[in-house]
Amino acid sequence: MSAVAGFPQAERQRRPALGRLLGSGAVMVTVIYLLLLLVYSLCQKNALSMTQFSDQLSNGLPLALGAAGGTLVVLMRGFDLSVAGVIALADVLTATQAGDGQLGALLCLAMVVGTGLLVGAVNGFLVAYVGLQSIACTLATMIICSGVALLVLDAPGGNVPDFISDNLTGTLLGVPVPLIIALVVLLGWVILRKTNWGVGLYALGADETAARLAGVPVRRVKFLAFCAAGALYGVAGMMLAAATSNGDPGAGTSYLLLVFAAIAIGGTTFTGGRGGLLGSMIGAATLMLLQKVLFSLGVSSFYTGIGQGLIMIAAVLIAALSARLARRMPR
Amino acid sequence: MKEAFMPGHAVADTRTTGRALGSEVITPLVLFALTVLLVIASRWISPSLGGFHQVAAIIVLSSFLMVVAFGQQMVVLIGGLDLSLPSLLTLGGILTFAWSGASGWSLIWILLVVLVVNGAIGALSGAGIAWLRIPPFIMTLAMGIIVYSAALGITAGTPRGHPSAALGSLFSGRILGLPPIIYIMILFVVFGTALQSYTPFGRKLYALGTSPVAAHVAGLHVAWLTVATYAISAAAAGCAGFLLVGYAGGATLVMGQSYLLPSIAAVVVGGTSIVGGRGNYISAVAASLLLTTFSTIISSIQILEGWRTIIYGCLILIAIAALREDVPLWLNRSLQRPSRPPQAPGAARSTQ
Repeated sequence: MSAVAGFPQAERQRRPALGRLLGSGAVMVTVIYLLLLLVYSLCQKNALSMTQFSDQLSNGLPLALGAAGGTLVVLMRGFDLSVAGVIALADVLTATQAGDGQLGALLCLAMVVGTGLLVGAVNGFLVAYVGLQSIACTLATMIICSGVALLVLDAPGGNVPDFISDNLTGTLLGVPVPLIIALVVLLGWVILRKTNWGVGLYALGADETAARLAGVPVRRVKFLAFCAAGALYGVAGMMLAAATSNGDPGAGTSYLLLVFAAIAIGGTTFTGGRGGLLGSMIGAATLMLLQKVLFSLGVSSFYTGIGQGLIMIAAVLIAALSARLARRMPR
Repeated sequence: MKEAFMPGHAVADTRTTGRALGSEVITPLVLFALTVLLVIASRWISPSLGGFHQVAAIIVLSSFLMVVAFGQQMVVLIGGLDLSLPSLLTLGGILTFAWSGASGWSLIWILLVVLVVNGAIGALSGAGIAWLRIPPFIMTLAMGIIVYSAALGITAGTPRGHPSAALGSLFSGRILGLPPIIYIMILFVVFGTALQSYTPFGRKLYALGTSPVAAHVAGLHVAWLTVATYAISAAAAGCAGFLLVGYAGGATLVMGQSYLLPSIAAVVVGGTSIVGGRGNYISAVAASLLLTTFSTIISSIQILEGWRTIIYGCLILIAIAALREDVPLWLNRSLQRPSRPPQAPGAARSTQ
């Protein structure tokens, strides 16, 4: 186990700094994000103001959290389609069941995280212990979750308590709360990826047989990854309800494909074992910013999709090119 | 230690080769049987169900899914996933609707144009995947968004055209008491199965899906095969759009959207492995029929929409779990599990 854990570090030390930067998907997507931000600030006057930034954060956080959760599953070569179902379910639960005040918000958080954990545990059990294909069983759980969401709230509406919608989109000591949430998730990830579970996750994605032979408890690692992903989707749904101030049982569907786009742009490969949560979350921010940039450039809203599609392809190509450059660098 | 490890290898091999041969026959048979049982059982739910007309209606309704699933299944077979299908179906529908309305024979030209236009777009996706090494997921997702956005811009939100009587008669007409589309679908399924299972092209796809590296070493033109597969998938989606215009009498910009997840569901319920190399079209056809039967029966029950969705999801889950080809093997392994952990670390130590 320690041999597996030591390997990435050893490799990292051998590489020159430039090669390391070029090879990291998170760094490349950050560069793309900053370029877009530059374009945006040139064509929109108050683009870099605090309110704009804060707005973007609260609108982008649900996608970022969803992408963060999805990354955990993609890292081990899985697909988790239940993200759409859990976001919708957590969204309507927040809009109908949450109480007011601090206690209500805490209970609501416990409720959405619990829901996400439950769905994640079902997915994890079916994939890790029963051996179903992840895309197949998460498709079924997604459909079931959206059905439950329809039972909770059959049409867009509901009422999100002011405490939740104000505080989750507001600021704490001058720092936007969505940023704090994102940082907490990233901090948790930084700690977790150093644990046996985190190392096992990467090992499992790179080569499942090798990981099993090296003593990684493959089933438990898979199971826990689905659980953690579910919990993150739950928080994403609550954040979505807070940002939109109401619930919508169909809210999840628009996130399904965007989540995977954010993961891909963030440099996590669908062949497993490479990438991370930071890249996916910045990838999500890039996608959200892209819509604003295309709008402010005066592209007709009919055609924004063309720009979005082209930039997605370009981002993946740039990431691949820079990774290739990094590999050619002298060691 | 090498000898001690060999038996495990042999067991794994019988699972991937020996059983897969059996499942090629068993999976579609089980799916067809389930469909028939469901249709018969549906008489208890409502007396209007379970009759001859309802069977014909289910086949007609599932024909679009069968055509879309044909493309999706081939793409999944080579280890990809086609997310551009909804947009390409919509494009096919919009083109058909815009040009149809003239005499019956012009329909063939319209179909040809739709196949060529969609095939070219699919080939472009395939080229990006094969030569630029863009992940299939992201390439087809981006292509789907681009095509949809172009369709939205060109039609300004509302596709215009004329419903075609000739195209509509595929569904409303009767040959020997059945709508002509049913005979066309039988031909399509026979053609599709033959292409996939009995032509060199189809067999090459299996090789490519099992191992692209091995396929390349064996002298297959991996890049061109990939391009051809995505082109065929896109053409199939266009064909489904063409047919859907005949059924619905018009085209909308969202007509493709309800086919993405069902196409994936049909493929995976049919037992095709999402990592490629395993599965067959006849199973996807059977799964399309089963899924359509599920939704037809569920929609006739008088309950809340939420419950309907939940039941549909549960049925898919049950179908996937029940059709696992290695259920007996899994039971075996679960019973033997206590003996496995000591073996794994031992094997690891010996390799170091």
